[in-house]
Amino acid sequence: MDLSLVLTTFMLLTLAVLSTPILFPLLSDNLKSTPTIITNTVKTSFLISLIPMTIHIYSNSESLISLWEWKFIMNFKIPISLKMDFYSLTFFPIALFVSWSILQFATWYMASDPYITKFFTYLLFFLIAMLILILANNLFILFIGWEGVGIMSFLLISWWHGRAEANTAALQAVLYNRVGDIGLILCLAWLATTMNTWEIQQLPSPHQTPTLPLLGLILAATGKSAQFGLHPWLPAAMEGPTPVSALLHSSTMVVAGIFLLIRTHPLFSTNQTALTLCLCLGALSTLFAATCALTQNDIKKIIAFSTSSQLGLMMVTIGLNLPQLAFLHISTHAFFKAMLFLCSGSIIHNLNGEQDIRKMGGLQKMLPTTTACLTIGNLALMGTPFLAGFYSKDQIIENLNTSYLNTWALLLTLLATTFTAVYTIRMTVLVQTGFVRIPPLTPMNENNPAVTSPITRLALGSITAGFLITSYILPTKTPPMTMPLSIKVTALVVTALGIALALELSKLTQTLLLTKQTPLYNFSTSLGYFNPLSHRFNTTILLTGGQNIASHLIDLSWYKKFGPEGLATLQLMASKITTTLHSGLIKAYLSSFALSMFIILISTY
Amino acid sequence: MAAYLTHQQKVLRLYKKSLRHLESWCIHRDKYRYFACLLRDRFDKNKDMKDMVKATELLKAGEEEFWASQHPQPYVFPDSPGGTAYERYELYKIPEWCLDFWHPSEKAMYPDYFAKREQWKKLQRESWEREIKQLQEETPADGPRTEALPPARKEGHLPPMWWHHVTRPREQPM
Repeated sequence: MDLSLVLTTFMLLTLAVLSTPILFPLLSDNLKSTPTIITNTVKTSFLISLIPMTIHIYSNSESLISLWEWKFIMNFKIPISLKMDFYSLTFFPIALFVSWSILQFATWYMASDPYITKFFTYLLFFLIAMLILILANNLFILFIGWEGVGIMSFLLISWWHGRAEANTAALQAVLYNRVGDIGLILCLAWLATTMNTWEIQQLPSPHQTPTLPLLGLILAATGKSAQFGLHPWLPAAMEGPTPVSALLHSSTMVVAGIFLLIRTHPLFSTNQTALTLCLCLGALSTLFAATCALTQNDIKKIIAFSTSSQLGLMMVTIGLNLPQLAFLHISTHAFFKAMLFLCSGSIIHNLNGEQDIRKMGGLQKMLPTTTACLTIGNLALMGTPFLAGFYSKDQIIENLNTSYLNTWALLLTLLATTFTAVYTIRMTVLVQTGFVRIPPLTPMNENNPAVTSPITRLALGSITAGFLITSYILPTKTPPMTMPLSIKVTALVVTALGIALALELSKLTQTLLLTKQTPLYNFSTSLGYFNPLSHRFNTTILLTGGQNIASHLIDLSWYKKFGPEGLATLQLMASKITTTLHSGLIKAYLSSFALSMFIILISTY
Repeated sequence: MAAYLTHQQKVLRLYKKSLRHLESWCIHRDKYRYFACLLRDRFDKNKDMKDMVKATELLKAGEEEFWASQHPQPYVFPDSPGGTAYERYELYKIPEWCLDFWHPSEKAMYPDYFAKREQWKKLQRESWEREIKQLQEETPADGPRTEALPPARKEGHLPPMWWHHVTRPREQPM
């Protein structure tokens, strides 16, 4: 049996099953059950996609198909080629599992929304675009998926478009992603001119690749994966409904940038500049996001900054030349981050839209399943031994510790790991424990299976995913086998330090002392002053510069600088210099004359 | 309501703002209560000041202290301006005249309402002049004092702006 054909068939069947709710929506007259139909479709697709993944695990077969070829110009053809290798075959079931759980949750969360069918259709479009991105073997097809997820992100963030902040956030997402797209298009252009193809198989060898297209790829990843510099859109994207935040901005869309770097990894492997740039950018992003998350009070923003921090960690892994480990972190991160968002969505909906952790407390008794899964997710995020996050996060930090690379990046990453523990414990303590601070008469319950079963399913995934993936998939590069004990337990030690620090700080909030505003606190609360600086300063400079160029430049240049005023300025400068020379010091002139005559006479004598 | 705030209003607004920001700082309720009592005492000490100049100076100093120690992310209720759910459902609040543009097949889904709708609209057109006349008589010369609308004064008249109130959109969608 030709296993690669089986693989291809099942993957295409998955995609086909997913597109049925779009192509055949009117088979039934009753459109009210479309959300459940879409949820069941995604569940079916997940089950179908398990088959190719199992085949790949047991027989290590991969497949590459080329559908219709777009004969663009004479010698430049763009085939629609899809690659079913380890990355796409493993990510499909994970993405579909997470999406199924989120869609099931959304049937409860968005039940009171009149346009719920449109919402689910948008999510389905997003999922299809994401899967196209994953399957793409051709950078052109990847770009189609890339733009698709960008547009769906815009539409979904501004779901409640009556709110001004939602519209601003959606515009921010689109503009920042656009800046990143410039990098991707740069790389596409370079690749088209040098190799005359956009196939990933036909990428040039790393020794022939100049640094410029690699910088373009890194810019694309910075935009899409919210690294430092193009990051403000990710916290702002929390304006969208919680299922949107869970699906797009934690598990799937934001990892598209890192996935691009994983796919084009052969280009990077010897270019030390690009790798170091990834390492340092990732380390900076992870620390910056973790610092900002320390003082946030909105639960969704805390989780958003946590996502940003983990994306920085994935970028660090790319910088360490370990794409498979980055992919492992993407997979495990999808589980627990989606679960964290779903738990927070359950809490928010039960509290009638309250998102501030200062008005939540003692929810452990009222929402036991949700808070239990929140704890599991937080422990997985911190890298608790043998939960999902441990297998990827601990390996990354071990590799970072034992490599001969940048110590600064190492220190930043360790500090960010500590901060991760701090803000996670802070969130847990303020949301779940202590006395109740919610308004009285808040009827809350989690009796709906549409809430509890996705959350528990993802909890199961958070616990077992790391173990399962690492036991079935062999690493392509040998991980560091021997290291001193202190290096081995560094991640655990810094996390434990963070937990202890957070518990001390929470005890401090309960003592009768008013908090002082220190510069570090203000830096963290105002998100590093980055937003007003870049949004206002940059744009004012550019716009006033443009205005001056458009209105003043011609007059200024021709009539002033090259005309009378320019001549006058030059003359003035010349006359000033000569005037200072004319200082009228006769004695000095005579003495310098005498000295030079003396030197000439001596030298000719 | 005149265009300026009285001293009492300013002091009370300062007190409420500072209590809300104190609540943002002191997350736990017992700690908040302790500091809220201290703040109340600080306000109560100067409550009987009769000299307006000194009172205004105290208010100014209080506002400056508030500005310096305010919380950078104050707690805002979700439905208040600046909150996370503010104007979230604005896009579903369509005016009632859109109902006139529905297709007959859509109108057939709610036959009871649309059967009587023309009569209600006729009633609204007839009573509009009387409502406006009543409002013009009852409003004082320098503008209305409050946003509350008066009830109907005569037998058989309808309250002013009743159609606007009856056909207002829901706060949250179905």
